[in-house]
Amino acid sequence: MKRRDFIKLTVSGLAGLAFNDALASLNPGELPELVVAQGTSHSRLTEKAIEALGGIKRFISRGDVVVVKPNMAWDRTPEQAANTNPEVVQEVVRLCYEAGAGKVKVFDRTVNDPRRAYVQSGIMEAVKKVGGEIFYVDDRKFKEVTINGEAIKTWPLYTEVFEADKVINIPVAKHHSLARLTMAMKNWMGIMGGSRRQIHQRLDESLADLAMVIKPTLTILDATRILIRNGPQGGNLEDVKVLNTVIAGIDQVAVDSFGATLFGMKGEDLGYVKIAHKRGLGNMDLSRVKIKRIRL
Amino acid sequence: MLLFFYLFLQTEPKGLDELGYPVKVFLDFDPLIFLSTLLSSRTIVKLFYLSLLTIVLTMILGRVFCGWVCPFGTLNNIVSLLRKKEPYRFKRFRLKYLILIFLLSASLFTLQLSGLLDPISLFIRSLTISIYPAFNYSLRSLFDFLYDTDIKILKDISETFYEVLKKSILSFEQPIYRQGLFIGGVFILIIGINLYERRFWCRYLCPLGALLGLLSRYSILKRSVSEGCNSCGVCERNCPSGAINKTRDWLKTECFQCFNCDDLCPQKAVKSGFKEQRGLQVDLTRRQVITYISAGILSVPLVRSNPFLKEEFLNPRVIRPPGSIAEKEFLKRCVRCGECMKVCITNGLQPAFLEAGLEALWTPVLVPKMGYCEYRCTLCGQVCPTGAIRRLSLQEKVRIKIGLAMIDRGRCLPYAHGRPCIVCEEVCPTPKKAIWFERVLIKDRNGKEREIQQPHVDLELCIGCGICEAKCPVVDRPAIYVTSIGESRSKVNRLLLEEYGGGGRI
Repeated sequence: MKRRDFIKLTVSGLAGLAFNDALASLNPGELPELVVAQGTSHSRLTEKAIEALGGIKRFISRGDVVVVKPNMAWDRTPEQAANTNPEVVQEVVRLCYEAGAGKVKVFDRTVNDPRRAYVQSGIMEAVKKVGGEIFYVDDRKFKEVTINGEAIKTWPLYTEVFEADKVINIPVAKHHSLARLTMAMKNWMGIMGGSRRQIHQRLDESLADLAMVIKPTLTILDATRILIRNGPQGGNLEDVKVLNTVIAGIDQVAVDSFGATLFGMKGEDLGYVKIAHKRGLGNMDLSRVKIKRIRL
Repeated sequence: MLLFFYLFLQTEPKGLDELGYPVKVFLDFDPLIFLSTLLSSRTIVKLFYLSLLTIVLTMILGRVFCGWVCPFGTLNNIVSLLRKKEPYRFKRFRLKYLILIFLLSASLFTLQLSGLLDPISLFIRSLTISIYPAFNYSLRSLFDFLYDTDIKILKDISETFYEVLKKSILSFEQPIYRQGLFIGGVFILIIGINLYERRFWCRYLCPLGALLGLLSRYSILKRSVSEGCNSCGVCERNCPSGAINKTRDWLKTECFQCFNCDDLCPQKAVKSGFKEQRGLQVDLTRRQVITYISAGILSVPLVRSNPFLKEEFLNPRVIRPPGSIAEKEFLKRCVRCGECMKVCITNGLQPAFLEAGLEALWTPVLVPKMGYCEYRCTLCGQVCPTGAIRRLSLQEKVRIKIGLAMIDRGRCLPYAHGRPCIVCEEVCPTPKKAIWFERVLIKDRNGKEREIQQPHVDLELCIGCGICEAKCPVVDRPAIYVTSIGESRSKVNRLLLEEYGGGGRI
């Protein structure tokens, strides 16, 4: 671990030197905390949202091992909005490499058969196109993690997430019958091993518990198409609403709180958002979040 | 045989809707499967014209299929090489003809048993259910062991190998089937008997070999022995089929046309060619033939007269794959090759034992706890060689009911224990979910009121895929489970009035 830390420090130091100019031009005080971008080109949307948040280089340094976690749990096609839009995922992976990332890993523990989910979601192909490493989860790589939360004390979680230098969460915004909505915080169920179905008995608390140990570098909420009924799996195009929106932020609680507004709800309507806010894991009060809107 | 293994490995889902090259093609060339399906179901399966090719080829050239094509024959031959003893001659060639006569007369009276003994079917089934899972298990546990040693160099090397193997000869996930040991045991027995006598199965038991033998009766490729022969016996000792007797006698219908005798003859006296020479036949007595025909015919009522003869005597857990035709017809066609089980993406299709009657031994049933039926998957119908499982379009597939789900309220968390749980609804794949919630006020033991969502099944929408059962958190005996009631293929096993031809909806 020590050698790794040393290398990390050196690399980030060098990167810092290299991009001194770029960094100098940004005044951190002026950066928004949340960017909401709207437009029809989904990859450009993603690019611009990240750019407005300070650019990918604010998050990714040269040589970083990056984990990108989309939602691709279901055997559904992109237009059905059950999985993250492959264009959005592809753009994020591309940007990471542009920022000099060493490796970008993409995976999800799916609900339907992983082969079908990876292929039918279109994400496998999209990620491969830009050189990302997309692989199926390996059961041996789930390790018990101490969480000491309210509902879950320990749980097997996917080690790659904790070994990575940077973690980017790319959920899709969807209806869910118990959580009401599934977005950023709930997307972390995709790195849970074991019998994760049990957490539905205390879902809100469990999701807030997960947020205590999983700290993404960046969260991109895909709301290009949202599923307003029959989530989280959908299947009927009438349940899909095209919003052509991408939300980028660092605070996943704020991202989810904003996401709720897309469905005519508020952050506090979602139990897990409320609990996470109360615990100080993020801010659901959008009046106190600096939001920048862009239209392309 | 390499082609066979390659295709066997390719009979694995990749995530696409269509499968590339399933191993089924070997069955398409198999005239025994063709003939018995033709007899039992009185239908011609389209792809079987390929087996006509085998028939014509055999009529001209003899049993070249046995000598050059059959993958099971090749395996038998390889195992035979381990044998050191001199050939013991069991010499009951006629046994396989009698087996053939038995099987075909049973199929003429609609009982399809030939798949149990057809070599291609037997080989695919044994590999699928038993040998390949065992192979996977052994390699996987080896790599898991190396992984767990946590010695970095060792782990890195083994993991690299593992990755390569996973992309080539290992399956995506460890396959598991019930009756693996039983089906594998039969297979090993058949393979093992080669140590007793070379290609024992091919010589004395194989019904396909017998059929091809009959067809080769008038073939024109013949073995001839010239005057130079000094009866050294090399050809006799090296003959895999046992067709050569005392060097000169040649049983035409037993010959695999391997040309060993031609190649190995030290005097160059043996030739294979189109020269006129009479081959000997295996003689069956009229009495034997009649006995076995009768046995075949009599087996039909014996096997059939059990409670399953009554249409309404149904085993609720016999859930057939989507696209399966009505049970009676299904049993006439299914040849138990196990391809649907091999290709099933969730490993949910399992060989039946006696739960659907003796006649249904080793036919596929869905066991939702092993694996549910993937909503948008149509692979089993794509590989079925006889049309027992129809090939479905995606639009058709998602409408076909293979059963219905029912809730066990005594075990379901929201019903019995007041705990929230929505997993069955969440995973339910129909676009408008077949599981819906009733919001109910319940009281806990302190009398405090709380609202909870209790699931219900919409029987019109439910297709019985079983994902709810597979994912139910009540793991040991799921609180929601599928039975065959309501299956589209049956006219008897229906539930809703509408489907019986009743009026409008309730």
